[in-house]
Amino acid sequence: MRYAIVGNGVAGINAANTLRHRDESASISLVSSERDHFFSRTALMYVACGQLSEACVEPYERDYYEKMGFTRVRERASGIDAANHQLIFDSGNRLEYDRLLLACGSVAVAPPWPGSDIGGVGHFVTWDDLTWLRREMTQAKRAVVVGGGLIGIEVCEVLIQAGIETHFLIREKKFWPIALSAAESDVVVPHMKHHGCHVHLGTEMAEAVATNGRLSSVRLSDGSQLDCDLLVVAIGVRPQTDWLRETGIALDDRGGIIVDDQLKTNLRDVYAAGDCSSVVWFNGVQRPEQLWYTSRDQGVVAGHNMVGDAREYRRGTFYNSAKFFDIEYTTAGLVNFHVEGEVDWWQHEPGTYYTTRITYLPAENNRVIGFNGLGRRWDHSILVQWIEERRTLEWMLRHLGEANFDEEFMPRFAATVPVEGGR
Amino acid sequence: MQSGLMNTFQSGIKTRNWAAWAIAIALFAFYILIYFDYALGILGPVAERLGMGIWTLYGLMYTIAMIIGGIYFLHKHGNSRYHQVRTIVVVLVQIIFAFSIPLVMEIFDSKGFILSLFWPLKIEYFYPQNIFTYPLTLVLYAFLSFVIGVPLLTYFYGKRWYCSWVCGCGGLAETAGDPFRHLSDRKAKAWKFEQWSIHLVMFAAFATTAMVIINWSLHHTSPDGQWITQYPLFDSIATTVQKGYQTVVVAMLSGVIGVGLYPLMGTRVWCRFFCPLAAILGIIQKLGRFRITVKPDMCISCGNCSTYCEMGIDVRQYAQNNQSFKRAACVGCGMCAHVCPRGVLRLENKADLRESADKERRPIVDM
Ligand SMILES: Cc1cc2nc3c(=O)[nH]c(=O)nc-3n(C[C@H](O)[C@H](O)[C@H](O)COP(=O)(O)OP(=O)(O)OC[C@H]3O[C@@H](n4cnc5c(N)ncnc54)[C@H](O)[C@@H]3O)c2cc1C
Ligand code: SF4
Ligand code: SF4
Repeated sequence: MRYAIVGNGVAGINAANTLRHRDESASISLVSSERDHFFSRTALMYVACGQLSEACVEPYERDYYEKMGFTRVRERASGIDAANHQLIFDSGNRLEYDRLLLACGSVAVAPPWPGSDIGGVGHFVTWDDLTWLRREMTQAKRAVVVGGGLIGIEVCEVLIQAGIETHFLIREKKFWPIALSAAESDVVVPHMKHHGCHVHLGTEMAEAVATNGRLSSVRLSDGSQLDCDLLVVAIGVRPQTDWLRETGIALDDRGGIIVDDQLKTNLRDVYAAGDCSSVVWFNGVQRPEQLWYTSRDQGVVAGHNMVGDAREYRRGTFYNSAKFFDIEYTTAGLVNFHVEGEVDWWQHEPGTYYTTRITYLPAENNRVIGFNGLGRRWDHSILVQWIEERRTLEWMLRHLGEANFDEEFMPRFAATVPVEGGR
Repeated sequence: MQSGLMNTFQSGIKTRNWAAWAIAIALFAFYILIYFDYALGILGPVAERLGMGIWTLYGLMYTIAMIIGGIYFLHKHGNSRYHQVRTIVVVLVQIIFAFSIPLVMEIFDSKGFILSLFWPLKIEYFYPQNIFTYPLTLVLYAFLSFVIGVPLLTYFYGKRWYCSWVCGCGGLAETAGDPFRHLSDRKAKAWKFEQWSIHLVMFAAFATTAMVIINWSLHHTSPDGQWITQYPLFDSIATTVQKGYQTVVVAMLSGVIGVGLYPLMGTRVWCRFFCPLAAILGIIQKLGRFRITVKPDMCISCGNCSTYCEMGIDVRQYAQNNQSFKRAACVGCGMCAHVCPRGVLRLENKADLRESADKERRPIVDM
């Protein structure tokens, strides 16, 4: 069997591992023009700030591809000849496959305002972006970061520790509205400011202004102007599927490759996994899910299906984690999903940035549907289990200590807010 | 939690530049002057002029290095409770048990005894000609602590109770050595080497001690008051082995190389590759309760844990495979858990490893 995989990211490599595990003699080709070695994209910020070296973010040792018998193809794919089972490259070369996996990930969303192609403006998604940012950081004095999400805040942290004056523009009135409540944002935003980040809530970009072809300032939607020499645009990512538009593959309205529950696309013997694939969510919506965890799981499932194991991809209950400067964040289940009748139980431990929010449904005997925690560490797998077991808020508050994952000697968690005290 | 480690790889001295080499060479030279003073006679006179023996001077410098290093460490990592408690304990143990008590004993004209060292790290504690010069309580302490105390504590809390909470070698690594912790080799090859080297030294420690004890028991006091043996050949072999162990393992491996290589190969070269006590503790740790629990499915494979593990354990490999683990080498310093940006790892003393969660995840469709 000849397997070809476009993309050497977490979805691609996990599919390759699974294929090798299931088929010792298969020929497995990994196509990527980004980098020779699989690296952890989630750790880009740590390389940028010097906490990790480039080699540190490679999860496998350098001889891994050889050991596993993976063939590297350093090409950019530009199309698929599905009828002839061939992958077409920019260079004109072709690669024959029996099964093809598209694990081509995401690209940064380009900004809608003028002036995005001038020097000093960029994104933070790819390895090239990392190289670019590190170069810019050696000279930058004043930087603007646009986009109130996870990549944005990571870039802010990197810039601030490099001693660069950093302005963080967030369109909404709070930070990361898709996941945080106003009260949680009110914990995170002062923390960012405490670290020296200039946070501008409710502020939109209007234009990047160049002088002699290089960024000199940005104009904001309220007309004011902010001088700067570096602009990082982090307003989201979208599936990297522009090169597939002519192939007849079915894409959703976000550009995600539509797959069935075995991650098959509409083209014969072509599968898709990771950031670029569009799966059906628990609520019936078809869309991509751009997370490390889901990409990894999809890669494994796709690998199994490619050898004929017939595995279903089941998303399961949502969980995620992140870090906002010093504040760790854990979530499980449905928070900020605006489920009808939902109520929040909320506790902010005085003098700390530790907060706990539990979303529950009073109409269903206080059944818990979601959890958001800042500061403390939580074992999301236990929380997920409780949510799936349809535990009540009262039960959960009594047992919450068991799901705590803080390091030893930390003051223990105690629920002090009464159940009716929730908002 | 903030780890205080940003910029590590932008700092030349932390990434083996010329200054790191210079420090390494200076440390090498210093340790040679210390351990081979009996032949070189350079530092001894200096110490005398300061009114102390060479080992007291060394102990003083060591303790000061740990205090300053401890302050530096807390400045960087003090936002972690575990690090706060551990660092204060390990520095206090050094000040009180490793430095002050022996010093006071010497002032009162008895031989200094370090309560925080055990055989075979302090191999003389099982050499009869040495230990029997101490009062009976200390003889019993040296013996019983190794036979009962050390194994029990290790069984329940892992080798960390010693290697990163009590031991002076570990103490220096965890304090003054902190800037270099990421330099440990985490390749599988290094792990292989470690398994051989550390058990080889452990064997050497057992063999040397056994020979010294046998040789001692074959001696007796002659009528004219001489300490003599009927087996002069064995005596000369045993003495040579004892001296060889002292030179190679104690002086070279624990001193010159162990500390000299800090800026080049990380701080735990001795602890990881050579320490015979660590080897024994490691075996007990594998049978015991201490382990590092991995929160399933949350690892982003960033590599912070593996990079800052001073024992060169590739923690990420376990974490991304959802495997809670016990590794003989782990000294329970807690750094992997501390630097993990997703809170995946936790040091625990629990009876059994948690099952890796391979269960099907059921969606909560009914919202
Ligand atoms: C800065 C940053 C931080 C993040 N942090 C988190 C986090 O904390 N938690 C989390 O869950 N997720 C995080 N993510 C998202 C996570 O990294 C992605 O979901 C994940 O990497 C997607 O993996 P993938 O294998 O699908 O695609 P990718 O890792 O994007 O890999 C796709 C590869 O395919 C290559 N490719 C694409 N098209 C072609 C072509 N035509 N020809 C050849 N090669 C091609 C690309 O160059 C790329 O190398 C973060 C992302 C970024 C950028
Ligand atoms: S595995 Fe963790 S606790 Fe153990 S030695 Fe390494 S960093 Fe320290
Ligand atoms: S366990 Fe934590 S530090 Fe280690 S690779 Fe995973 S996310 Fe990174």
